[in-house]
Amino acid sequence: MRKLATMLAGVAIAMPLAAAAQDAAGTAKKDSYRFLIVPKVVHPWFDKVNDGAQMAAEALQAQTGADIEIVYSAPQTADVVQQVQIVESAISTRPDGIAIDLLDPSGNRGSLEAAQGQDIPLVIFDSVPPEGMDIPYIGSDFCEQAKIASRRLVEVLGGEGEVAIMMGVPTAPNHSIRAECHREVFAEHEGITVVAEGIDNDSIEIAQQQAAAIMQANPDLKGWVASDAAGPIGIGQAIVEAGKEDQVTLVGLDNLPEMLDMIRSGVADSSSASQPELQGYWSVMLLWAQATGAPVPDYLDTGNAFLTKDNVDG
Amino acid sequence: MPTDTTAQARAPSALSILIRNPLAGVFVALTVIFAISALISPYFLTGYNMSVIARGLAFVGLVTIAQSSLMILGELDLSLGTIGGLCGVVSGMLMVQAGLPWGVALVLALMLGMALGFVNGFLVTSLGLHSLVLTIGTAGIYGGAILVLTKGVAITGIPQGIQFLGRGDVLGLPVPFLIMLVVLAIALFLTLKTPMGRYMYAIGNNAAAARMLGIRVDRIRLLVFTFAGMLSALAGLLMVARLGTAQPSIGQTWVLAPIAAAVIGGVATTGGIGSPLGAIFGAGIIAIIENIIVLFGVSPYWQGVVSGAIVVLAISFDALSRRYLRRDGA
Repeated sequence: MRKLATMLAGVAIAMPLAAAAQDAAGTAKKDSYRFLIVPKVVHPWFDKVNDGAQMAAEALQAQTGADIEIVYSAPQTADVVQQVQIVESAISTRPDGIAIDLLDPSGNRGSLEAAQGQDIPLVIFDSVPPEGMDIPYIGSDFCEQAKIASRRLVEVLGGEGEVAIMMGVPTAPNHSIRAECHREVFAEHEGITVVAEGIDNDSIEIAQQQAAAIMQANPDLKGWVASDAAGPIGIGQAIVEAGKEDQVTLVGLDNLPEMLDMIRSGVADSSSASQPELQGYWSVMLLWAQATGAPVPDYLDTGNAFLTKDNVDG
Repeated sequence: MPTDTTAQARAPSALSILIRNPLAGVFVALTVIFAISALISPYFLTGYNMSVIARGLAFVGLVTIAQSSLMILGELDLSLGTIGGLCGVVSGMLMVQAGLPWGVALVLALMLGMALGFVNGFLVTSLGLHSLVLTIGTAGIYGGAILVLTKGVAITGIPQGIQFLGRGDVLGLPVPFLIMLVVLAIALFLTLKTPMGRYMYAIGNNAAAARMLGIRVDRIRLLVFTFAGMLSALAGLLMVARLGTAQPSIGQTWVLAPIAAAVIGGVATTGGIGSPLGAIFGAGIIAIIENIIVLFGVSPYWQGVVSGAIVVLAISFDALSRRYLRRDGA
């Protein structure tokens, strides 16, 4: 009888402990996870994000033994309607998490609310969540990234001259933040005049056309900065076509292969680069952590790198 | 006098009636794609996914009804997408910046759509311009006006009241889809049950002959262009209601998709053949393809190849079934 009482007491103590262990943050476990990565558009910069996501999947698989599948689903054009359609279709497949780079926070809000309504973990990368929505996000400090580029341009120009800004997709928050921060830096220098702003919608071809037209209309233009990864590549092409490599200074953005080539060849002075592989990697890590019930930070900064001829191959 | 047995033998079976229907090919193609999708993906037939497909179909469906009506006349309007986008943006400005009640903004934006469609129709009829060429130009003007008005930045703060039209459900069906069904019913009634519909087919088959028969060809063209402009504006408004913002990009994907949907649905670009119902079946095929390539996780680099191949298969299936019908009828 005494033995039975001791056993019952033991069970009574062990049960809550076991329950607590099950409920402990980050201890929920599954044999397989399927995470969805939704970029703004089909674009080489986002391929690097996907590379980082695949690296994270391999790492998690090696460490935990669980099957981790990354589904990369990109809109064919930078169109929020298409992106919403992709997210809504993806919700039907009940993924274990969705990481998305928002084309427009207001336009994307409905689909994000639908995902939250179905308890699907979310992470936003390279962008900021819609106002009032509690979603962890990953990115570099977009403003600081832009300011690194525009300060460099001011420095190279000696604080004087006409400059132009390429804006990317105006409705994309990271692009508009960068454009605004470029303007702030240039406004601090009386000798610098912003004579034109172009919109390239994250397309190299459009950036090239816009840059060519702007340089035609402003023959005294001395320098360019951009707000997206495609922009500086198109601008560089336009500079080469106009034969203005020695007259116009380009300080680029990000680290796509064409951008690095332009730094090596001297078409571009330098580039202020975010780190897409890290954004993809940590997007998957934060989705996985949420899927296991672990707490995650509100914001994770993957930092910026400043690339010049001296360190581009370093 | 035939006996009862002979009469029964000559009575066409339900299957024969179905096969002889010009919509049979696209309907069977739609059914096959639907069935295959349901068999392959466990997620396809869920209520949520059906709702996603129906809601997505509604917007491009409205423009498809508009475009197919013009195609029956032998016309094409490449500016319908930008009319939708411009009317969406203007409705957003009227609601947010001018502070008008959303009902008033909605009516004004629909009227703007009618006016823009009328302008297209007027230029086509009065100057004898080719609608395809003319509307390349007007698409540029309307699209440019969107950028002038918005500077590329979306208009936010759309009133909650109107958002029900884009996001809401009635009896489990998305509101925009229900609106599209009502518009489809009206379009079918107009094209199949009224003299105007018969005139549209007559004009599409041979405009000169129709004119000789006393049909007011230009008046009907004007009416259909105006109707098409209004439907595009409605699609743009519903998209604003769905997104909760007036995006400058609204309508960008409504140029080629409605034409493709109409052609898949058996509407001839040369005029006089097809119906808005077939065009909606075609739009349904495209909507399902767009859905399943996400459900199956098709690589974005392969999506164009996969969706294009399915469309080619659907058109081929339709063409083969028509050939079979012709042979059978000969």
